Amino acid sequence: MSEDLKVWSAVAAASEEGRAGVLATIVRAKGSTPRGVGSKLLIDPEVGLVGTIGGGCGEAEVIETAREVLASGVPRMVRVNLTEDLFSWSPAVCGGYFDVFVEAITLHADTDRNSA
Amino acid sequence: MSAQPDITLLTAAEVARYARDALQGGSPVVSVLAIEAEDDDSDAVGRRILVCHDRVLGTLGNKIVDNAAIQAARDFLRGGEAAASTTGRETSGIPALYFEAHRPPNTLVIVGAGHIAQPLCRLGATLGYAVTVLDDRPEFATRERFQDATTVRRVDFADPFREIRLGERSHLVLVTRGHKYDYEALRSLLLGREEPAYVGMVGSRRRVRAAFEQLKAEGVPAERLARVHAPIGLDIGAETPAELAVCIAAELIKARRGGSGASLRDRERVVERWITERP
Repeated sequence: MSEDLKVWSAVAAASEEGRAGVLATIVRAKGSTPRGVGSKLLIDPEVGLVGTIGGGCGEAEVIETAREVLASGVPRMVRVNLTEDLFSWSPAVCGGYFDVFVEAITLHADTDRNSA
Repeated sequence: MSAQPDITLLTAAEVARYARDALQGGSPVVSVLAIEAEDDDSDAVGRRILVCHDRVLGTLGNKIVDNAAIQAARDFLRGGEAAASTTGRETSGIPALYFEAHRPPNTLVIVGAGHIAQPLCRLGATLGYAVTVLDDRPEFATRERFQDATTVRRVDFADPFREIRLGERSHLVLVTRGHKYDYEALRSLLLGREEPAYVGMVGSRRRVRAAFEQLKAEGVPAERLARVHAPIGLDIGAETPAELAVCIAAELIKARRGGSGASLRDRERVVERWITERP
């Protein structure tokens, strides 16, 4: 089963089973990054993580944002920089950056946001 | 924002259902997602449009933006193999848009259900191919031996593709128990009209040459023969069935993604360029 099919099936399943979750999609990538545009991660509070946007600290940052997005219902863009100093021994030394669009999957954008 | 016109918004969950169907073999669709917009249009962010061949679902907020997005989505789907792409906010009033094509899976058709076919079937499924395994021996062409396959079928090698749909998403690997059967399968393919994305056949240089000479004599054009990957696989010294499966799978990836097949170390030469002290 392809990676995309795995994640989209999980998104469909979560909504069919009435669960809220957060979908994170790499929508821009520049320079050397672990995964390219279109890579996806579903954060389903009950099932866990489905798919990957490259792991490491970028993914941790995105999961942190996912909590806020789930609470507010407002999508956000997260920029993950992988351009830290080469000798910092941080995992973030691939040399590029990527932008991740983070959205709640049960969101009906306007109704939810307006009623807030 | 206040009073919006009554518009039906398309959720990610609905897109997911269409994407799932398309990725499992339905007709291709493209989803468009607004990811950034000007401040006075921030409600557009997160909205989606889904473009199917016969209809469009959802809206990004207004007709002008929708029409631009739909046109771009159709162009994107026609434009080739890419799965995803993003446009910037070059045109004022049009949000930055993320496009994702949801296409049916690439198929891997393994002709011959022997030693190489088993690990190759597993690898192919892991790589996202819908795998079909064909053999003329009912005791080899079994579900038990190929649990990751989408289809396992008993066929006659003289006409193995009669009930198989071949097209631009098909990848064919000829690894039967005997060169005679590989040849027959290749012949029936090359005398037909279908042009799969990839055709590979095992065999020594001598056998491959003999097969090609005979097919040439039967009227197969040289340029069609030149597209056949034979002998199959990348040169990594593979010997065991599992290693041969990796060597074939590596060539499948290379055919799809490009790349040289060389070791990255030899391409980048980090030690030679940066580490070794210069006199």
